[in-house]
This record gives sequence, C-alpha cells and structure tokens, in this order.
Amino acid sequence: MDRTTFLARIEEYHMGGWRLALINATSAMSTEEQPGGSFDVVWAFVKDNAFEYLREEIVPGDEVPSISASFPAAFLYENEIRELFGINVTGLNVDLGGQLYKTAKKIPFSPSAIRARLEANAAAGIASASPTPPAGPHGAAHAASSPAPTSAPTAGKTA
Amino acid sequence: MSMFSRSPWILHYDGSSCNGCDIEVLACLTPLYDVERFGVVNTGNPKHADIFLVTGSVNERNIDIIQNLYGQMPDPKVVVAVGACACSGGIFARAYNIQGGIDKVIPVDVYVPGCAARPESIIDGVVQGIAALEEKRKKRAS
Amino acid sequence: MKRTVIPFGPQHPVLPEPIVLDLILEDERVVDAVPTIGYIHRGLEMMVERVEYTEMGFVVERICGICSFMHGMGYCLSLETIMNVEVPDRAKWLRLIWAEISRIQSHLLWLGLGADAFGFENLFMHCWRMREEILDIFEKTTGGRVIHSVNRIGGVKRDVSDAELAAILVRLEELGKAFKKTASVFATDPSIAHRLVGVGVLSPEDALSTASVGPMARASGLATDTRLGGANLYDQIDFQPVVETAGDCLARVAVRLREVEQSIGIIRQAIDKMPKGEGLPLENRPRGNPAGEAFTRLEQPRGEVVYYVKANGTKYLERFRARTPTFANIPAMIQLVKGCELADVPNIILTIDPCISCTER
Repeated sequence: MDRTTFLARIEEYHMGGWRLALINATSAMSTEEQPGGSFDVVWAFVKDNAFEYLREEIVPGDEVPSISASFPAAFLYENEIRELFGINVTGLNVDLGGQLYKTAKKIPFSPSAIRARLEANAAAGIASASPTPPAGPHGAAHAASSPAPTSAPTAGKTA
Repeated sequence: MSMFSRSPWILHYDGSSCNGCDIEVLACLTPLYDVERFGVVNTGNPKHADIFLVTGSVNERNIDIIQNLYGQMPDPKVVVAVGACACSGGIFARAYNIQGGIDKVIPVDVYVPGCAARPESIIDGVVQGIAALEEKRKKRAS
Repeated sequence: MKRTVIPFGPQHPVLPEPIVLDLILEDERVVDAVPTIGYIHRGLEMMVERVEYTEMGFVVERICGICSFMHGMGYCLSLETIMNVEVPDRAKWLRLIWAEISRIQSHLLWLGLGADAFGFENLFMHCWRMREEILDIFEKTTGGRVIHSVNRIGGVKRDVSDAELAAILVRLEELGKAFKKTASVFATDPSIAHRLVGVGVLSPEDALSTASVGPMARASGLATDTRLGGANLYDQIDFQPVVETAGDCLARVAVRLREVEQSIGIIRQAIDKMPKGEGLPLENRPRGNPAGEAFTRLEQPRGEVVYYVKANGTKYLERFRARTPTFANIPAMIQLVKGCELADVPNIILTIDPCISCTER
C-alpha cells in the first residue's frame, strides 16, 4: 500500500468531519501468487447518512500505518486486527500489546490459522468450508460491482 | 420444611453467554417472578454466596475467574449451570474459543436447560439447588 | 502522589457481564483506564467456517440476548442484499415493529440497570416490571422471550394477526401511561440528579472524535440516527432523532426515556400504515448460494451497528463481521472515566449501556 496517499485520504475524511464507523479485515486464503494468504482491510466512515470506505489489500508482514492520529478511536479496531489477524499495525496511540482479547490460540483469524482449522476439520470428517476456496474474483475487484449497502444511500469506494 | 429452611444467597457470573440467560436470571429477581419472596438474594460477593449461578460456557479467558469465584465461596456450596451454553457449550460449542460446559472446570450440581433458559426453569433450578445444598450440609454434619 | 491500580471487573456488582478496566488512580481520581475484553469472546464470527449460511442467522441472533431480534434482522438484510431478494411488504413492516419493540425492551432494561447502579432499587423494579409487558408481547408474537428466531433470509417466519396488532397497540398505550410516571421520577428526583448531573460530560467534539454512536452521541448533541437514512421503511415514518445537549449521565438517561415514547409512536404509525389482511406473503426464499459482499447498517437500541458479510458462492460464508454499538462506544467510555471520581465509575460505565457479549462476539 502507498502509505502517503493512504494517510492523506484518511486525513481528508477527518477534515471532512466523518466519523470512523469500522475497520474490518478479511483473510483471503493462500493462492499461487500469495502463498501466505492476504488480508482485505476496509476503513469505513460515516457522515450524516453517507457511508464510504477505503480498501487495501495487505500481505502478511506488510506494515499498515495506524490512523489514530486522525481518528483516536481507531486504536480499538487496530489492536483488534493486530491481535486476531496478525496484521502489523504501527504507530498506535494506545498499544494494548496483545492484551485485548487474549485468545487461547494466538492470531486465530489469520489465513494460516483458518487453513489449519479447515484442514483439521476435513481430516476429522467434520462438515466445514473447503480449505481451497473456489476460484474467481470475490475480493476487492469484485467489491466495486457489489450491490450498495442496504441501510443508507452510500458511495462505496475502493482505493 | 427443609427446602426453604434457609435463604440461599446467589452469586451470578456470566461465563461467555449471549446475555439472554443473564437477563433472565435478573428477571427472576424482579416483580413478576420475584425470587426474593423465597429469601433468595443476588449478591455480588462470592464470600456471601451459597449458590453459584453460571450462565454461558467456558473459554480460555474465564477459566481462572470461574475457579477463583468458586474457590472463594464458603462450603457447602452448589453450582447451577443455567442455559444450554453452561450445560454443554450449546450453539457455541463449535466456536474456536469455546471449551464447553461449566462442568469442564468446576463440579455442577444442577443443569438448567433452555436457550435462553426461562425464568420458571431458573427458579426451579435454584430450588433444586437448595435441596442439594441441604444434602451437602447434612453430609458435612454427620 | 501515590498511584493505585484498581481492577474493575470482571465480576462486579454493577456489571451483569464481565469486562475489565484497570483503573489507575491518584487518590480518588481516575487518571487512566486500560480496557481488557475477551472474557466473552466466543469466536462467533469464525463459526461461518462450520455453519451454513442458512443457519448462521440463528448463531448471529445469539451475539446478544438483548438485541437478538435486530442482529437476526441485520444478518438477513445483508444476505438479502447479496442475493437480491425483495422482502414482502408485510414482513418489512413486521420487522420494523419488532425492532422498535426491541428498542423499548432494551431501554427499559437499561433504565432499570442504571437505576440499580445509582442505588435506586425501587425504580429498577418498576422498569423491569414494565419490561415484562414487552416480553409478553414478544412471547405472544414470536414465541420467545429473549431469543426470537423469527427472521429468515427473505422475510419473517410468523405473521401477527391484525387483531393481535391492535391489542399490542392498546397494551403499549397503557405502558406509555405507566412509563410517564416512572420517567418523571428519573427527570425530577433530586437524588438522581445529584448522582448524574454534570458527571461524565462528553462534548460534541469528543463524541465525534471518539466515534460514539447512538444515545451516547445523541446525548452530546449529535443528531446521528441510522434510521434517518430511510432504509427499512423508516422513510415512511414521521420521527425526529432524540437529541439532548448536556452530554452528561443524566442526558444519556433522558435520551433513552424519550426514545421509549418515540418508539411507541413509531409502532403506532407502522401498524396504521402496514398492509392489512390475512395470508399476505411473508417471505421470498432465495435459491442457491450467495456470492458478493454487503455492508448493512441498522440503528440498534445502543446505536449504529455495522454488519459485513462476504460470500464466495459456496454455502459457507467467507466472512461475517458485526461491529456493534458498544464496541464503538468503548473509546468514549475510557475517555469519560479518565478524570472522574472512583465512585462515579459505575454510573459512567452504565450510561454507555455496555453490552459486552455484543462487543466481543
């Protein structure tokens, strides 16, 4: 990701009086291009009834800058994606140091953890999702054409 | 009458429940169900409690808390597991962070089924808990 | 000055649910608070790996027993968006009515807990007695007191007869009258004012920078209400968001007091406007598996909730995410706790209306 443009876009939302609505990560399973899997991270903002988001594809190990300088409340989400997904967020205003959820299994939402769980399920004959997801554009590229969110007139944006 | 010979005080702890059973436990205390008429009092202090009402299942994080609270309660004591999650893990048994019912950590005397458990069954569970308490007391005296 | 660390929770008399705040004190004043959650973390979102999308709704409902209906509704709305399903009109209206009944239920529950936290047990009992009326309505119409399971992808499972709806309205009017008396106690009792006025003041600027939602933001003068967006038939309802300006604990109580009456008014309008008759269609069940993604926003009793669903064309979803209102309000809570007296901490924590099982999922 381009750190400077990203932070500039975030600052635009901040100056525009938007409220941080959500930072969400989704693990994508490993593919041939990305053997370690990847993360689809969304930063969503709300102003009046408009809902917009920025989207980045992150590879494990990539550095993701904290947006807590513009949006102080981001620390909770950032600590969360760091702890559950293992995304390397840097420069947080409040660093809870992995003490937010304290799950028994470390980084349970990461692509490798999901894969391990699904493979174990498959080996044990437990019905669960396939460790090899169907091919096709379901990630960021797909999002642009996805239907608009239901609850408000929105302008979904992809970065 | 042995069943109501004592007024048990209850300690409630929410393991990892969805709140449904917790609010039903609280509803038992309020005017429609009003368990206080039986002398049942909800206390926040484990050292005052006779009956330990646990809702929700066990996850890695709350094992210590549950054991701690149980350990702080004076003998004799009774544990009532309220709701499907406390009994067996319930709908969340398949979640990665859930270990199962309360009986994985502490001995359970009464199981109250339901998702969420109805106030009537919670009261019934407590009443059975009183009987179990009475028995434990007798055993200790003999 | 000597610093003391007092762990608040996980088991605490005012908290029905476990959360931990490490309060760092200088004498009686809190200078910092460090949150720890995870006591109720079940990993519910990851259950999409093992639960098919058709059944996941029942899991989502159990994120929280207080907003159970709205969680089910948000999940179904997300999948309806992805699968392009048009929900029949009567089902939409029934959802709106149940959603508003949930709001009344949740606010009465909270008003009781709030009263208990500032030591007014009598008021707690009154609020919960009124709440039982609402639970009765829920039980009659959905079959469940706290977990309802009436939402399905494409509509709702049960109809409520027109006669039943009229009866609900009568009950709500009665409840409204009784509620007025209780509300006046909250508004006028000097001992309540003594505990709540000027305590935990959140300025409008801070409400925005801490990204607060719901009654928390509205008590600080921000007119944010997801329902204003008009989705889910709210565009056909005449209502204004309830806004208070003081930003203190009493303002947060006042917002919820007024919202109970507002919700009764919304239900009255809805019953008036909805299509009448027996045997109207209630659901359009979709076929096949979903592919695509959706963000859904709803106004829950505690504020805005955001659902994110991503589906990849199989029967298992790729990601389900719920950002619940309490999660969004935690930064504000931490900010308010800093600088307050130790004795005010329970009141401040209670007035954000924390729902921990929502927060941790």
